Amino acid sequence: MMPSNTNSSRTASAVLPFYAFGVVSFLVLTIVMLFSSNAFIGHYFSPKLLAITHIATLGWASMIIFGSLHQLLPILLDKALHSMVYAKITFYSFAIGIIVLVYSFWTFSLGIPLQLAAVLLISGASFLLLNIVFTARNTGRPAIHAIFIITAAGWFWLTVFLGALMAFNFTFSFLPAEQLFYLRIHAHIGMAGWFILLIIGVSSKLIPMFLLSPAMDTKKLYYSYFIINGALLAFLVDALIFNETHRGGIYFSLAIIGIAIYVFTVIKSFKSRVRKALDIGMKQTFLAVLFVFLPIVFGWISTSNLFPVSPFLMQITLVYGASFFMGFISLLILGQSFKTLPYIIWLDKYQNMSGKKGTPLPKDLFSEKLLRYQMVVFIIGYILLLSGIISSLVLLITIANSILILAAILYVINIFKMFVHKPAYATIT
Amino acid sequence: MELYTKADNIELNVYNTLKEVIDPELAINIIDLGLVYKIHYDHSSGIHIQMTLSNKGCPMGDVITENIRSILSERFPNFKSTIELIWEPIWSSEFVSPHGRTLLGLA
Repeated sequence: MMPSNTNSSRTASAVLPFYAFGVVSFLVLTIVMLFSSNAFIGHYFSPKLLAITHIATLGWASMIIFGSLHQLLPILLDKALHSMVYAKITFYSFAIGIIVLVYSFWTFSLGIPLQLAAVLLISGASFLLLNIVFTARNTGRPAIHAIFIITAAGWFWLTVFLGALMAFNFTFSFLPAEQLFYLRIHAHIGMAGWFILLIIGVSSKLIPMFLLSPAMDTKKLYYSYFIINGALLAFLVDALIFNETHRGGIYFSLAIIGIAIYVFTVIKSFKSRVRKALDIGMKQTFLAVLFVFLPIVFGWISTSNLFPVSPFLMQITLVYGASFFMGFISLLILGQSFKTLPYIIWLDKYQNMSGKKGTPLPKDLFSEKLLRYQMVVFIIGYILLLSGIISSLVLLITIANSILILAAILYVINIFKMFVHKPAYATIT
Repeated sequence: MELYTKADNIELNVYNTLKEVIDPELAINIIDLGLVYKIHYDHSSGIHIQMTLSNKGCPMGDVITENIRSILSERFPNFKSTIELIWEPIWSSEFVSPHGRTLLGLA
């Protein structure tokens, strides 16, 4: 008999705050983007873009990921989460840390506020890593998806640690190279080490479950794992030991091979699925996986050093970041929110009403129609945003950001519909 | 696959009862989904169900088995029931009933 590792109501109380913070952050992100439309033209190392990037990466994407990770980890590792207290410390450290960090960037207060944010964030990242490692401990030889997740948490810690060093470096100037040098490393280990590895780890387990397809090819996932991590390590060693980031294109190309292996594995799983009729959440997920080619193309142009530094290349670098976070990460989370959160809330409300007639299903907790509109509106906004950044047209960026706010409102309404859901006791027979 | 001894009324009743247990993710009952491999009843050991999940480590696994326990204790209060999760044979789409195939978009 499968052990029951998910005390759902206990877990839900630890998990839902992450989701609530992440969802609100997404709305805040789109509003802030609208009022900073002109920041999308020019250099990425600007106060407003730093604030926007950290709302997107930490406030929105990472907080949602933390929420789903705390829920899914016991299922993926078949072991209860090591500590609910650690999960709560992680939440409060990040919630306060992110607010202070964004305030610091927005107002360019690079002293005490930024340092305070750095301390809070590294504390949160440490408790997250410890919780994951302690949960994974003594589970025997971990499966490939667990290896991806644990490694991703390690890269995340390193990303935050480097960010914290940079925060203190603004005041104490102890790092040997300039901030931009470390920013490149910080951004890339965050993108490939944290987001990509985590997404591969979680999706390699969940996609076959949702699609009723055979388990993904473990050998290919191992290839993907070693190639991406090899590329990241080589990039890091080259940068920190040889003080060189100009060979970034080589490591980027290597990482692309690793990502491509994963994408082909997903496509294979998709083709061999038993469940032919896809729900809207999964459609959005596959769209996100297909959209990954955009940041790959723009990222390769941006990091290959084949093109001279020019205002256009600067815009390409911005499109690279925007296509990664809005096109790939956000689209993926917008879709997966409606696969993981309904399940978490459903377990919390209905697990004890098992087998009773009239009990709604997880998919009944949100509006599919609203989700469909949200997907279409978001994609329109996203395409316009990329077009606006490439063409350096502030008006187009403003229109795009207005449309993205609409998508965020639809998303928030649908998510909070689930949050305030009351069990339908009256209909139970 | 012969799920139960047709001659035995209790096994047939259990079979029909299990048709009310729904996989919450797929919205299909576990009999049509082909998750139940064997239903056995005898007077001394009670109801014994051999079943599988569509995927090892399925997030809905606990919910489904809890559903089965709950509904069996409600409908057969005087019988002991045990659920045995097995992984051989591995579940495949061939186990899905014609009705389940229609719901999954396979038919």
